[in-house]
Amino acid sequence: MIELLQNLGRWLTSGAQWSGPDGIATRLLEHLQYSLLATLVAAFIALPVGLLIGHTGRGAFLAINLSGFGRALPTVGLVTLVFLASGLSMWPVYVSLVALAVPVIVTNTYAGMAAVDPEVRDAARGQGMRRHQVLLQVEIPLALPLIMTGLRLACTQVVATATIAAYVSFGGLGRYVFDGLAQRDLVQVLGGAVLVAILAIALDLALASVQRLLFRHRPRPSRAA
Amino acid sequence: MNRRKLLGGLLAGASVPTLAACSGGVTSLKGDGSGGEGGGSSAGGLVIGTANFTENQLLGYLYAEALRGAGVKTSVRPNLGSREIVIPALRQGDIDLLPEYQGNLLLHFDDKAPQTQAGDLQNALTVALPTGLEALSYAAAEDKDVFCVTRETADKYGLRSFTDLKKQNGKLVFGGPAEDKNRVVGLVGLKNRYGVTFKEFKALDASGPLVKGALKKGDVDVANLFSTDPDIEANGWVILADPKALIPAQHIVPVIRSAKADTKVRKALAKLGVALTTHELARLNKLVDKDKKDPDEVAANWAADHGLTKK
Repeated sequence: MIELLQNLGRWLTSGAQWSGPDGIATRLLEHLQYSLLATLVAAFIALPVGLLIGHTGRGAFLAINLSGFGRALPTVGLVTLVFLASGLSMWPVYVSLVALAVPVIVTNTYAGMAAVDPEVRDAARGQGMRRHQVLLQVEIPLALPLIMTGLRLACTQVVATATIAAYVSFGGLGRYVFDGLAQRDLVQVLGGAVLVAILAIALDLALASVQRLLFRHRPRPSRAA
Repeated sequence: MNRRKLLGGLLAGASVPTLAACSGGVTSLKGDGSGGEGGGSSAGGLVIGTANFTENQLLGYLYAEALRGAGVKTSVRPNLGSREIVIPALRQGDIDLLPEYQGNLLLHFDDKAPQTQAGDLQNALTVALPTGLEALSYAAAEDKDVFCVTRETADKYGLRSFTDLKKQNGKLVFGGPAEDKNRVVGLVGLKNRYGVTFKEFKALDASGPLVKGALKKGDVDVANLFSTDPDIEANGWVILADPKALIPAQHIVPVIRSAKADTKVRKALAKLGVALTTHELARLNKLVDKDKKDPDEVAANWAADHGLTKK
């Protein structure tokens, strides 16, 4: 066990391991690229949908249940399915990562919007605000903490799952996991897994700081209450 | 079908369950006094174990049928696990007979074994197997790694064997499981023995939907498949010849506890081995995997059709 950890430490810190086309630096960048692109695309799809059903209150039942269905999709199955349909390309990877992230963002955005106090909404309308003003100046700011939580959750899940790019011969940190398993190189498998975990935590912390920056002018909930 | 799975399990943990807890059936069988010839006695009946994939289970049931036809009582314990589990079970006597594959079985006991041809492998197995175990006559059927191209690719580049690949160095894309990149039965052997290099290597799966889908669509030109994969014949794919015997032979071979190996058993399994070809085994795999038939029924029908049992 100790020996394994020592080997893992050496693997993670050796300069040779970090450089070259198979190096950690390249794989980390690939992983980051897959994850961020998939999360961004998912956000572009999911945020408008969540906002719309939250704002209008219509279609919530359908959207939430579709999201539940989406969450239940096995990612590897989806990758294989899209692979067989589209051939060897990044499509299977992106389709399944986006499909993984969309439900989380939709449900959280909707939940944030639904939690806005109807009296606040009425008051805004009573002051003569138009619908889009209510949405942009009242509802979204109030729903933002939950929306951000959805984005952070989606991002973490996507980073953890982007390892499947290696399943269909592409790069990213999953390469170490799949190659290590194939070569029965436990250190490589662990190294890949540890890097994925570190990347997921780091991205989550980064998004948390963004969230804090966004809310720095806002009183803390404890004081507001 | 997924023969390579037998090699797995190393990472899955070192626990090797003894199968003593699930003993049943066979202990109640009484000896009928025959046997004793050929080293052991099958009079008490045999327990056949199999590894955890379709083809191996099928083989277990085929052994059972062949032995039943010869008047030997058997029971089958299918789906026990990987080689790390079934071999210890055999050594401990929890099972008596196991369908195995020459090359990979030898590597299990001697990971530096250089033999690749069937006869050499069989002799090496006789030497390498631990006392109390022996390898009986091997079957015509063989489930080994084969490198395939589509008919179109074969015609376009004039590909018939690994030697022909060299003329296309740097042009073709090779697809196979991730381990192919760094092992002799893969890119390393092709380069060292045949001087073949590829434009790119795509790490996909072991004779699974990904690599076959990629070969079909032309995303890879050469694919590592298993010789008993029914899709090879169904798609008319060309298996490239291996004139320098880079890839070890993997004929199906029964491994048995010597205590149970008498002439009756040896002959019955040898007879099965003569009738069972790679083509037939691929066909049986398809009946179970694609057509969802029960492996024991498939085995019973096949054995009856080939005169191993009475209809």
